[in-house]
Amino acid sequence: MKFFATSTEFDYSWEEVSAANWQKYGPWNEKTPHVIAVDTLSRTVDPISGILRTERLITCKQSAPQWLNSFLGGQDTSMVYETSYVDPRNKKVTMCSTNMTFSNLLSVRETCVYSPASSNPLGRTKFEQHARITALCGGWQKVKNSIEEFTVERFKQNAVKGKEGFEMVLEMSRRVFAQERELRRLQEARI
Amino acid sequence: MSASLAPECNEVKERYDNCFLKWYSEKFLRGNATTNECEPLFKQYNQCLMKALKERGIDTMIAEAREDNRENDAEHMRGSCPSSIS
Repeated sequence: MKFFATSTEFDYSWEEVSAANWQKYGPWNEKTPHVIAVDTLSRTVDPISGILRTERLITCKQSAPQWLNSFLGGQDTSMVYETSYVDPRNKKVTMCSTNMTFSNLLSVRETCVYSPASSNPLGRTKFEQHARITALCGGWQKVKNSIEEFTVERFKQNAVKGKEGFEMVLEMSRRVFAQERELRRLQEARI
Repeated sequence: MSASLAPECNEVKERYDNCFLKWYSEKFLRGNATTNECEPLFKQYNQCLMKALKERGIDTMIAEAREDNRENDAEHMRGSCPSSIS
């Protein structure tokens, strides 16, 4: 079993980040081409807590090195099941995900949290990411270790690309939002 | 917005995603989530998606993942994470 954890901050309000998060893997993000589809399976608002719960299916296509391919059976498409919880009262987004493919070989459980940064709660947002990676295949410990190490390394690389890509989405999202607001202001002024 | 894994659902998905994003920023985040005007679009998108998932045998994989996640759901709905990770 191996753990991966990282945290960073974004120079945008929690509201902006939580909204842009739904577009994280859209066309504005040029850094994560390995995410090829994001589908929403269900979505509900809890009447008591006010928490928005969303189930999504994330489809990725990322090639693996030759040695790992023999274990994966040459399949390069993988699917991730994600449940997210947006608590608007406490300003917290929690996203929990687990791998659906290769689950007989590997268990990856990831949790990401977006919350207002303590340094500037109204203008900055903290992002925390934790993952637990366990190789499940029977046999050599050495093979399991290699699979876990490779997965942690891939996690690190994808986390860097994910942040860079999300920065692009946040910038575009702010620009488009400002344009829309300006357009609305002009339309209202005309009336 | 991102594509659907089923290309035949892309058009209705895009319409739903745009509706949701507007609802999320303009209503949900402002504490006004009692109505959801995107529900009819979601139903259309979901109908298309579920058909595609069933055809590809992905629906059973989702059912398993959902079952694994269930034990932690009550905890998550209070806004915290599974104790095994955090």
